[in-house]
Amino acid sequence: MGVRVLTGLLRKEFAQFFRDRIMMFVVLWLYTVEIVMCPLALTFDVRHSPLAVVDHDRTPASRALLRAYTATEAFDFVAALARDADAEAWLDRGDAGLVLIVPPGFQRALVRGEPARYQALIDGSNSNVAANVKAYVHGINARYLRGLAGGPPRPAAGLEPVTRVWYNPPLSSNMFMALSMIALAGMMVGTALPAASLVREKEQGTIEQLLVTPIRAWQLFLAKTLPPLCTCLLAIFPGVLLMAWLFDVPMRGSFGFFLLESAVFLLSAIALGVFIGVYVQTLQQALLLSFFGLFPILFLSGTVTPIESMPPFLQTLSLLSPLRYYMDILLGVFLKGAGWRELWPETLALAALAVGLYAGALAAFRRRYR
Amino acid sequence: MNLARVGAVITKETRELLRDPITVWLCFLMPLVMLFLFGYAVTLDVENIRLGVLDQDRTPASRALAMRFTASHYFERVRDFPQAHAITESLQRGELTLVLVIPHGTQRRLARGETAPVQLLVDGSYAATSLLAAGYAEAIVRGFASAPAAAVEPAVRIWYNPSLRSVNYIVPGLFGVILMAFPPMLTALAIVREKESGTIQQIYASPLTPREFMLGKLLPYAGVAFGEMLMVVGLGYAWFRVPFAGNPVELFAVAGLYVLITVGIGLLVSALAKTQVAAMLIALTIALMPSFLFSGFLFPVFSMPLMMQMYARAFPTSYFIDFARGVVLKGVGVEVLWFNVVWLAAYTAAVFLLAAWLLKKRVA
Repeated sequence: MGVRVLTGLLRKEFAQFFRDRIMMFVVLWLYTVEIVMCPLALTFDVRHSPLAVVDHDRTPASRALLRAYTATEAFDFVAALARDADAEAWLDRGDAGLVLIVPPGFQRALVRGEPARYQALIDGSNSNVAANVKAYVHGINARYLRGLAGGPPRPAAGLEPVTRVWYNPPLSSNMFMALSMIALAGMMVGTALPAASLVREKEQGTIEQLLVTPIRAWQLFLAKTLPPLCTCLLAIFPGVLLMAWLFDVPMRGSFGFFLLESAVFLLSAIALGVFIGVYVQTLQQALLLSFFGLFPILFLSGTVTPIESMPPFLQTLSLLSPLRYYMDILLGVFLKGAGWRELWPETLALAALAVGLYAGALAAFRRRYR
Repeated sequence: MNLARVGAVITKETRELLRDPITVWLCFLMPLVMLFLFGYAVTLDVENIRLGVLDQDRTPASRALAMRFTASHYFERVRDFPQAHAITESLQRGELTLVLVIPHGTQRRLARGETAPVQLLVDGSYAATSLLAAGYAEAIVRGFASAPAAAVEPAVRIWYNPSLRSVNYIVPGLFGVILMAFPPMLTALAIVREKESGTIQQIYASPLTPREFMLGKLLPYAGVAFGEMLMVVGLGYAWFRVPFAGNPVELFAVAGLYVLITVGIGLLVSALAKTQVAAMLIALTIALMPSFLFSGFLFPVFSMPLMMQMYARAFPTSYFIDFARGVVLKGVGVEVLWFNVVWLAAYTAAVFLLAAWLLKKRVA
């Protein structure tokens, strides 16, 4: 009896869900196009940053210094300026990200063994980029110095760091970005769709009809949960294939375990959607809430910025963001080959969030409709 | 164009908005939340990097090296390994970002004046953090026993934002993002709601012309958007102490132009979508996502591949953000950034012509 009610309800939900073509299109878009575009485009790496130069010295030494800068991928030479005052105009317009000013007497100082100085003016309006540009300036300068010393550097006394990067030796942000887009897509779709579908029943009054049928609250929630869950789990496949194909994201852990963890994460996202759907009255409110709830969740997940550098109260709040746990799981399974033994705390945290949200939604639903 | 009829639509729309306090609250609360999260959380500069140490040497020199790490505020020593085999599991769990391995005989080698290798194991999965962590660690190790004088030294000056505070660049950029987040969505929902509930038929049957209907729908949300903008500018200035170097009048004038574009995009979305959910998802993909990710708000446009740069430049937000940053941080104005203003004006015209055409087609 209960089973018949449930299958009927499920059939209605699936039919309603898959009828919306535009929605299907947007879900696919999030799981494919965004996963390809974002890793390609979004990086704080300094690449082809426009470089302008004011060379007052005009000697082989100053030209060698400039070559050291333009030889890298980081900077593209855009202009040789005549006066220091021009530097300001170029930075103001944003046409140059870095201006080097080499004073007269640069080569002379070098030959005499005196300290030779030059200026590096950085556009600091994007502070993250500026910090990286600064690091590049020091790095390129060090390389130029080694070149001056002539030949390979002499073995010097002292400590020599030998750095090994694990899991992602090229240290490219592509893999991280691609994985975080998978997580983000799940969060967006998982929250918005169940919230919208619950509130639509309220707005159109069909919720009253559902209430007079033998359908129980948990069955209704289950019926609202399954269609988005199945859709997202299916949409993950093209996303993962694209990731592996374009960005060489390895799969060091087990794929089955990854799907299982994804289901747990999606359940927590959908639980949040159901919770919103029970609480608000109009579709507009539901959409705005699920839409803008994304920002705090995204920010507190450590996807955009490292959690370690947040102020303590935000670090504590970040424990409530399901994305935070899922990102750790994704990085662990794909890049590090981790499994249940390493990732059980994250899994339990996700499950606890899901259970808590479903319980809250159920309680609110009972209070309102009993 | 009959102003009385436009006024009637405005009154109706404003009343509908005010009757829904949750939406009004969200409109003003969410920009606040965004401002505070972005203001406090967006920094790539890492402190308290979680460090593990495996000291096989156990000499004064090796202890001094490990101390150097904790003395710099970049690292926090959270674990000491007695043996090497526990390291793998610890990195897999993500407990640590960096492990310092000091092998046997480090002190002896240093005393003899030889090169002593020290191993740094970095978890590369968070690439941005790992890069900085490895850089800091290498600098500490290199500087430990030697002090070579650099003969060539760059004097680095950072302009506009010398302390590299991320709030300074986030707040002006946030104008562009917030204005793209709310007005298009609210406008689109306001029109699609009438479609969904069927009241649009009554509008069609009334003497309202499409232009009057559009204007009446747009103006209340443009007002909301402008209020949000004022709030963010004010709080950025008063709470986060973002310096305001340029002329506020110029910023608000161009912001007015930009608000027109954003509500215009809402109109376009409303012409495409039949349901509110679809309207929201379309607004998300054509307005918010590009303005958040591809506008130079967080990630610089110039380091994108050329195709992506063209994609990014196809949306108006990057032009407005460049302008806002120019006015707020650099103190320049239209005289320097006229190109951006021309682009925005062209956008406004294009969006409204397209929307008017789509709407007319619908009505006819």
